[in-house]
Amino acid sequence: MSIYRGNALRVDLTHNEIGRGSTPENGIGARTWNSVTLLNEVEPGIDPLGPDNVLCLAVGPLTGSELIASCRFIASAKSPLTGYLGDSGARGFFAPELRWAGHDQLVFAGASDRWVYLLIDNEQVELRDASHLVGLDITQTTVQLQRELRDPDLQVATIGPAGENLVRYSIISCNLARACGRTGMGAVMGSKKLKAIVVRGTRPVRPANPDRFKAACNQLQANIEAHRQFESRRKYGTTRIMDALSEMGVLPAYHYRSAIYEDLDKVNSDALRRDHVVKSKSCYNCNVYCSRYNYTQYSEGEGPEYEAQAAFTVKCGNSDLELGVAVSNTVNRLGIDCISTGEVIAWLMECRHEGVISDDDIDGIDLSWGSREALLQLPEMIARKEGIGALLAKGTKRAAEEFGTEARKLTAEVKGLELFSADPRGIKGYGLMNAVNSRGGDHYRGEPMIELTGDEDLALRRVGNRDAAHRLKEEGKGALVNYAEHMGLLSDSMTICKNISCCMDVVDFDLAAEAYSGLLGRDITAHELWQVCSHVSQVERDFNLREGLRREEDTLPQRFIDTPIPDGPAQGTVVDIQRMVGDYYKEKGWE
Amino acid sequence: MIHCEVEICVGCRMCEVICSSVHFGAVSPALSRIRVAKLEDTGIDLAIACMSCTEKPCLECPTDALSVGAEGEIQLEVELCNGCETCVEACPVGAVGFHEDEPLFCDLCDGATSCVEVCPSGALSYRSDDKISLEEFLEFEGYPNERRVHYAAVQAVPMRERWKAGARVDT
Repeated sequence: MSIYRGNALRVDLTHNEIGRGSTPENGIGARTWNSVTLLNEVEPGIDPLGPDNVLCLAVGPLTGSELIASCRFIASAKSPLTGYLGDSGARGFFAPELRWAGHDQLVFAGASDRWVYLLIDNEQVELRDASHLVGLDITQTTVQLQRELRDPDLQVATIGPAGENLVRYSIISCNLARACGRTGMGAVMGSKKLKAIVVRGTRPVRPANPDRFKAACNQLQANIEAHRQFESRRKYGTTRIMDALSEMGVLPAYHYRSAIYEDLDKVNSDALRRDHVVKSKSCYNCNVYCSRYNYTQYSEGEGPEYEAQAAFTVKCGNSDLELGVAVSNTVNRLGIDCISTGEVIAWLMECRHEGVISDDDIDGIDLSWGSREALLQLPEMIARKEGIGALLAKGTKRAAEEFGTEARKLTAEVKGLELFSADPRGIKGYGLMNAVNSRGGDHYRGEPMIELTGDEDLALRRVGNRDAAHRLKEEGKGALVNYAEHMGLLSDSMTICKNISCCMDVVDFDLAAEAYSGLLGRDITAHELWQVCSHVSQVERDFNLREGLRREEDTLPQRFIDTPIPDGPAQGTVVDIQRMVGDYYKEKGWE
Repeated sequence: MIHCEVEICVGCRMCEVICSSVHFGAVSPALSRIRVAKLEDTGIDLAIACMSCTEKPCLECPTDALSVGAEGEIQLEVELCNGCETCVEACPVGAVGFHEDEPLFCDLCDGATSCVEVCPSGALSYRSDDKISLEEFLEFEGYPNERRVHYAAVQAVPMRERWKAGARVDT
């Protein structure tokens, strides 16, 4: 069964050869193609930062169409952070441009011996010298390429100095602040000496059945505009969640040591909007336009989203929001993942607080909670691998091995990927998602959002039980996470923004089937789409099993299993993760 | 003319999407008669379509294929056009598109103004009586997309000064 096969551009960086082919069978776009390609083409046990790794960037048939927020591309490779399947998506405007250029998947194999960038001008494709771009940050690289090629509308996906230096959680970024943030895809790009991908595309996306497609687009738009969170998402974007997480008692203040942050009103969404947001910003074709542009005494830029905002304030015990926003701008320019970077810094601060390490272990940098020095200096040192930055650039799991057992106990990572800024003990579906999904400690494979809204009827409709809607219950979470994973995979293939499709629950498989059917001009059923997602979910599991994944790794850090949340509304909660993992395995039909 | 308020535009490009879709049944900015200039390192977004400016340098058409309609819109007589792109190059703000040997001018959707309808932030509006002079942009050297960006940067100067002085989105 092949619902849609797109054009694949194959770039052999070792031999400087460019070939053309098709995306794999059994796919419906982006992540489905990439995961199958990697299972087929990456030998087990290879070095993720060596020439044998394969880096795929893909869009889908719906990308760059009239469908709201059909704006993402997915970058996939074996992850240098986890050693398992890595992938991450970026919003913005790069993906539609790639689709308009007529390329659905880029597959990079081998490694160049000098720095290059790939220039795509519709069907014309060439590798060009990038030696003059080496060392430039993400903003500088993007602006330089648009200037020298004399086209400010060019779309650029690039790595910063961190990616060049193979920092294991470096990002691929487009539109300056839209990133494939997780699992170190920027380091894989850097290992291939590929600095940037530059695209100009003018080929239109034309639905085969315009009326049917338009009806699906209109339905989605109507669902979004009728949603009760529509206005608050438009106003605050993801930053709106900070107050909500505080009310649920799952804020990770002082690196999960408290669920209460006493200076919340200095760093929350209202404070951000009041003091630093100068205008709203949007990704491609989005009526929510939830992003915001910030202006501070240090710098300006797009963002932060909740994760960067929380990581550099609440999690590190920093109540100076302007500093936190500036750090967000800095990590975006350097090209490191805000979640992993924030987790590294917050973990170090906790290690120092517990007396496990001293400031001297970190080149004399003050590591007290909220340290301005640490927040300003560590991202730069990590990105350039200066001093202790060389160790921290490996991620918390590897760094903790250097600092010993006590430091290891304080980490918050799964399979090497650092956790987001919420406490999995008090949102158990998210806890399970972090424990079992294909890329490690990650909430965003799909969002088990139903447990945040507590909507029992929706839980019953989506996953067949009401318990799933209760965030403190462990019952029903296997089915919830399985559904959320399918929705995540569907969204990563439609390339629609998951903050819309998953978090707002405004897309389901039926609506997706209508959009695919309208665009492609033949009947595609919800069941077929679900089957493809089930199949590719298994492909991703198979990739990881082949790399040696063991059942014991499907878990959460011990601190969340042993130690209850110490205070706040969810006080006393731990998470019985193995029970939920068993439930999830049953759902998947795994032993 | 279609006016875009630089302080409000969020740069979503929904105007480009609907413009190409309405006119061609397909989506591509290259088919759009309105284009969004984005200066990402300074946070500026501005949609630009034909402003029906007082200078109208596009009318220097060597084959006399262009004329001005009742609402100030530029009308193309396809049979006379030889695809020389003189009008594309003449527009001081890069508001003339070009596709398959023909220039693309905002036709105001015969009054339906799809882009204004779809604009989610309310940055776009239709103004029938504006008299815009683009004289100060006539001398700017550059490709159409560079001219759009230059025009947007100039329009955004007061906005950026207000940001610098402390103005925020709700003030």
